Amino acid sequence: MREEQRQNAVWMFLTYTFVLVMVLVMLVPLYWMVVAATLPQSEFLQFPPRLFPGTAFFENFGALQGRINFLQSVGNSVIIAVVYTVLSLLLCSMAGFAFAKYEFKYKEKIFYTILATLVLPIQLLVIPLFLLMAQMGWTNTFLAIILPWAANPIGIFLMRQNMKSIPDALLESARMDGASEFQIFYRIALPTMRSSLAALAIILFLFQWDLFLYPLVILETPDMYTIPVALAQLTGAQRIYYDQIMVAASLAILPMILLFLVLQKQFVSGILAGSLKE
Amino acid sequence: MSLSDNTIGETVRIRKRQLWDRFRYARQDLTEALPQIPGVAYAFISPFFILFSVFLAFPVFYTLYLSFFEYQGIGQGALIWIDLGIFWIEIPQITNLEFVGLGNYARLISDSLFWQSVANTTYILVIQVPLMIGLALALALALNASFLRFKGIFRTAIALPVSANIVAYSTVFLLLFNEQMGFINYLLTGIGVGSIPWLTDPFWARNTIIAAVTWRWAGYNMIILLAGLQNIPQQLYEAAEIDGANRWHKFRYVTVPQLRPVLLFVVILSTIGTFKLFAEPYVITGGGPTNTTITIVQYIYRQAFVNINLGYASALTVVFVTIVSIFSIIQIKLGGEN
Repeated sequence: MREEQRQNAVWMFLTYTFVLVMVLVMLVPLYWMVVAATLPQSEFLQFPPRLFPGTAFFENFGALQGRINFLQSVGNSVIIAVVYTVLSLLLCSMAGFAFAKYEFKYKEKIFYTILATLVLPIQLLVIPLFLLMAQMGWTNTFLAIILPWAANPIGIFLMRQNMKSIPDALLESARMDGASEFQIFYRIALPTMRSSLAALAIILFLFQWDLFLYPLVILETPDMYTIPVALAQLTGAQRIYYDQIMVAASLAILPMILLFLVLQKQFVSGILAGSLKE
Repeated sequence: MSLSDNTIGETVRIRKRQLWDRFRYARQDLTEALPQIPGVAYAFISPFFILFSVFLAFPVFYTLYLSFFEYQGIGQGALIWIDLGIFWIEIPQITNLEFVGLGNYARLISDSLFWQSVANTTYILVIQVPLMIGLALALALALNASFLRFKGIFRTAIALPVSANIVAYSTVFLLLFNEQMGFINYLLTGIGVGSIPWLTDPFWARNTIIAAVTWRWAGYNMIILLAGLQNIPQQLYEAAEIDGANRWHKFRYVTVPQLRPVLLFVVILSTIGTFKLFAEPYVITGGGPTNTTITIVQYIYRQAFVNINLGYASALTVVFVTIVSIFSIIQIKLGGEN
C-alpha cells in the first residue's frame, strides 16, 4: 500500500511538472512578444535580452503607424470578419433550417453535394477565384474577400444538425397562428439556436480572421490590407524593425486572446463543433 | 355580462383547433413527416446555394479546366497589377490561353522543385503530426487526471495559442528563432548549448517550422481529445481496476480503443492542415534556405502568382488535392479496421 502511495505521488509530481512546463512553453512566446513591443529597438537588441516590459510601446506604435497604416488594417480585418460572420450565419442558418425542417425535391442530393466540398482544401480555390474576381473587376475589394466562403459547408452542416432538434410541434403551432414561414424561422428557430450560432460565429470569425493566402492575392493596395497581409509586408522589408513588428503582432494577437478569455466556453464549443463530432 | 353567440362560436372553434392540433402532432410524431410547402424551402436555400455554386462549385471545375491550358506569354493589355510591396505582379488577360492537353501534367512529373516541395511537406508532416498529437494526447490525459487542480487555468493557457493570428505568431517565431538576437539562442547559449542556425540550416529550418506549427495547434487538438476522454464511461476504468489493471493497462486497453475515433479524426484534421501549410514557411523561412522548407501550397502560390503560370499551377493544385484525398482515405482505412 505504501509503495502504491509513493508511486502515485511520483505520478502526480510528473503530471504537474509536465503541465507546468507546457504552460510555460505556450505563454513564453506571447510574453516575449509583449516585452519586445514595449522596448526601444536599441534596448531590445541588447545582450542579455530584457525580461521585463519597458515603456516604449506608444513610441514603437507611432513609428509603426507612420510607416504603414496598421490601424486601418485592423479596421479592415474587423469589418471583413464581422460582415462575413453575420452574412454567413444568416445564409447557413436559413439553408440549414430548410434542410432540417422541410421536405423538398433533390434535398439529399443537394445536401451531400455541399458536404462533399468540405474535404477540399481552400487553397484549391485561390487561382480560379482570383481569375473570377479579376474578370468581374472585383479585385482589391472587400466583397471579393467576404463572398466566396459565406456559403460555408461546415456552417450548413452544423445548423442542419442543430435545427433538427427544434420540435416540429412548435413550428406547426406557429403556423396555425398564421405566422409566415420566414417569421417562423426568424422568431422561433433562430432564438432557440443561440448557443449553436455563437459557436458557429466563432468558427467563422476565426476562419476569416486567419485567412492569408487569398487576401494576399486579392488585395492590391495597402489601404485595403487585412492584418495578416499587412504583417507579412513588415517581414519582407529590407531592414527589419523588430520593435514595430512586435507591436503589430501584439495588436493582432491580443484582441483575440481577450476575446478567447471572455468567451472561452463558446470557443471550446466552437472548436468541438468544428470537429463535426456526431 | 353575457357571452354573445359570437364569442361562444370562437371558443368552440379554438377547442376544435386544439383537438385537431393534438391529432396532427400525434400523427407527426409517428411519421415525422416534414411539411412540403411549395417554394419555401428553395427560397431558404437559394442565397446559400447561389453563392455556393458561383464561388465553391464552379471554381473546382474551373481549376480542372485551367489545368489543361497554358498562358501564351504575357503581352496584350494587362488586366490588372498587383503590388505586394516586395514585387509587382502583372496579370494578363485570360484570353491568352492555349490548350496543351496533359502538357502541364507531363511537365510536373519532371519538375524537381515540385517534388522537392512534396518531400519537404511530407518530412514536416511525418514528424510534426505524431509529435503534436502525442503532445496533445499527453496534455489531455494530464488535464483529465482527477487529482489535478486549476484545470481551467491550465487548459486556458495551453489553448491560448489557438487564438493567435497565423501571420502574427509566425513573425513572433521568426524573431524568437533569430540566430543572432533570438530569445531561444540566448537561452541555449546561457545553458552552454551554443547558438543553433535555426533559419539558415536546412535541417534546423524545418524543425523551426515544425515547432511553430506544433505550438499553435497542440492546444486545439488537446481540447478535442479532452472532450473525447470525458466521453469514455468511467465504469470501464472501474471494471479494469477490479481486474487488476495498472495505469498502462488502463491506457492501452480502455483509453486507446475508446478514443480511437476521436484520435483518427484529429490525425486526419492535422494531416490535412499540415499539408496545406503556407503562412508559416512563407513568413518564417520564405521557403529557404535553398528551397528546403518550401511547401506544396507555397510552390503552387509561387507558380501561380510570381511566375504567372496559372495553368500549370492549376495542374499542380489538382495533383495536390489528389494526394491529400489519398492520404485521408488511407488514414480512414487504417484507423477504421475495428
